Amino acid sequence: MVNAKVLLTTTFVASTVFAQGPAPAPIAPPSSGGPGAPADVSVKQRPTLTPEEMVNQSREYAKNMASTLARIQVLQDQAKREKDIIRLNCVTDKVVQVRVNISIAEQSMAALQEAVTRADEGERTHEFTRLTIVNQKVQVLGAEAENCIGEDLSFVGATKVDIEIDPNIPQYDPTQPPAPGIDIERPGEASPLAG
Amino acid sequence: MNRRLALWTALAGTLLVARAARAQGTAEVTIGYQGLPYKSSGESNTGIQVSEGVLLHVGAGAEAGYDTNVFYQNVDPIGSALIRTSVFGDLSNATRTGAAGRISFDARAGVVYRRYQSDNPFVQNFNNAWMPTAGLALSAGGGQFGFGIADTFARLEDPPYNEAQLVPITRYNNQASAEGRWAPGGGRITATLRYTNMIDIFQGTYSYASTDGNYLMLDGAWKWLPKTAVFVNAQQGYIFYLNEAQATANGKESSYPLLVTAGLRGLLTEKTSATVALGYTNGFYGGGVSTGGFWGSTYLDLSATLRPTFLSRIVAGYRHDFQNAVIASFSYNETFYASYVQQIAGRLALDLSGRYSHRNYQGQFVDPVQMVTGREDNFVQVGASLDYFVRNWVYAGVGYSLLNNNSNIPSVEYLKQQMFVRLGLTY
Repeated sequence: MVNAKVLLTTTFVASTVFAQGPAPAPIAPPSSGGPGAPADVSVKQRPTLTPEEMVNQSREYAKNMASTLARIQVLQDQAKREKDIIRLNCVTDKVVQVRVNISIAEQSMAALQEAVTRADEGERTHEFTRLTIVNQKVQVLGAEAENCIGEDLSFVGATKVDIEIDPNIPQYDPTQPPAPGIDIERPGEASPLAG
Repeated sequence: MNRRLALWTALAGTLLVARAARAQGTAEVTIGYQGLPYKSSGESNTGIQVSEGVLLHVGAGAEAGYDTNVFYQNVDPIGSALIRTSVFGDLSNATRTGAAGRISFDARAGVVYRRYQSDNPFVQNFNNAWMPTAGLALSAGGGQFGFGIADTFARLEDPPYNEAQLVPITRYNNQASAEGRWAPGGGRITATLRYTNMIDIFQGTYSYASTDGNYLMLDGAWKWLPKTAVFVNAQQGYIFYLNEAQATANGKESSYPLLVTAGLRGLLTEKTSATVALGYTNGFYGGGVSTGGFWGSTYLDLSATLRPTFLSRIVAGYRHDFQNAVIASFSYNETFYASYVQQIAGRLALDLSGRYSHRNYQGQFVDPVQMVTGREDNFVQVGASLDYFVRNWVYAGVGYSLLNNNSNIPSVEYLKQQMFVRLGLTY
C-alpha cells in the first residue's frame, strides 16, 4: 500500500513538473561591461517568448492551476466522506494555499495583459516570471495534497486484546448451580409379593 | 478426540441404569453403563448445517448382548439375549465452534427400541419396549440478566421384579423448569431463581407412586475467582401424589422437602474442580413420620474432578441426603461414586464408572412386613465401555453393566449383568 502511494506520488509529481513545458529563458544578469559603463538592458534581458506566447502560456498556467485546485477539492471531499480528520486538515491547508496563489496569479495575469497592451517589456517579463513561479508553487501544493496521509497509516486501528486461556481450564462455568436432576432410576422392589 | 471426553447420554437406553451425578454443572458425570449413541457437547467437526445458525446432530446405534437376569431375581435368574437400537436428532443454534450467541435453543428427540430374544414365555411377555425421549431448552441473555426454560421428557419400560406379572414397570417422567439469572456489575455476584416441575407417572404395580413435584430454588453465588464461587442455595419443594386413594392405601403422604446449603463450587486449580455443599434438609412429610435427627437433617455433597491430561478425567464424590421413595416414605442415602474416562491413542475411548449406595428406608412401607423388619439396601452399580473410533462419527466397541442389590430382605436381592457389543454413528 505504501509503495503504491509512493509510486503514484512520484508519477504525479514528475508529470506535473514535465507538464510545465520549456522553462522561460532565465533573465540574463547585468553585464559587467566595466566600471562606469551603462548596462545594456535592452539586449541582455530580452525574453525568448513573444508577448502572444507569454499570454498563451499564462493562460495554460491558469488552466493547470484551476485543475489542480479542482483535484485538491476532490481529495478534500473524499477526506470528509471518510471522516478522516487528519487527512482533511492536511488537504484543507493545501486548498487555502492554492487559492491564495491562484489569486496572486490572477492579479499577475491582469498585469501581464496591461503590460502587453502598453508594450512594457520589463513589466511583462516580471509578471510572466511571477506567474511561472506561482504556477510551480501550485503544482507542488497539488502534489503535497496527494501525499496527505490519513488514518490509514497514522491510525493503528481499534484496540485488539488477545487472551490466552489455559486449555486445561474448562469452558463451562462450574460456578453455576447444577441443572435440576431427573430421577430416572428403576424403583426398588417393594415386596416379594408385588411386581 | 478430546471432545469425546465430555460425554452425555442422549437417550433413555441407559436411563434405567444410569444416574447423573449432579455436581459439576454442565459437565455432568453419568454413572453407569453409557448407552448408544452418544456425542459430546464440545463436538466441533460434525453436524449438518441446516441453515445459517442452525446445526443438526444425528445419531444411531445398535447393541447386541446378553442379560443374565431379566427379572432382577435372587433365585434362578432368567437370562436372555438382548438387542437395543436407538436413534436421536439434536437441533440447536450452536455453531461448529460452539458459540451460540445471546439467544440459544436446543431441541432433541430420540427413541430406543429394546428387544429380548428368548424362548422363555415369561420373557416373551416383555419382548419389546419403545422408550422415546425429548427435550427442549431455550436461553436468552447472558450479561446482567438471563432467562431460560427447559423441558425434558422420557418414557422408560422394564420387566417387573416378578416374572409372573404381566405388566411391565413403565415410567413417564416430564421435567419442566424456568429460571431467571441476575449478575449485577461485573458478574462476580450471581443470583438464580428457578422453578421446576416434575411429573412422574408410573404404570403397573407402582401406579400409586405417581407424583407431581414442584420446587422453587434460589441460589446466590459470589465468584471470588473467575471460575470459583462460594454459594448459598435454598430450595423448597412440594410433592403430592396424583392417585390419592392409591397413595393413601400404600401409606404415601405429601411432603414439603426443604434444602438449605452453603459451600463452594468451581475450580481449585486449572485441572481440579470441586463441589462442597453442606446444609440442612427436612422432608416435612405430612404423615407424621419425617426426616429428623442431626445426621438425618444434614445434607452433604462432596465431589472432585481431576483432569490429569487433555485425554482423561477422573471424578469422585460422596453424597449424604434423603430421597423420596417409592417403596417407603423416604430413604436416607449414603452414596459414593467414581468415574474414569480415558482416550487412548486418539482412537480408543474408555469409560469406567461405579456407584455404591446405602439406602436406609424409613417411614411408611408399602410392604407391611418391612414395617417391622425395616429395610436397608446396599446397591452397587458398575458400567464400562470401550469404543474404537473408526472415524470421528462412527465407532464400535464393547460394554458391560452390573447391578447388584444386597439387603436385609433377602428376597429383594439380585445380581444383574449385561454384556454388549455395539456399533454407533453420531454426526
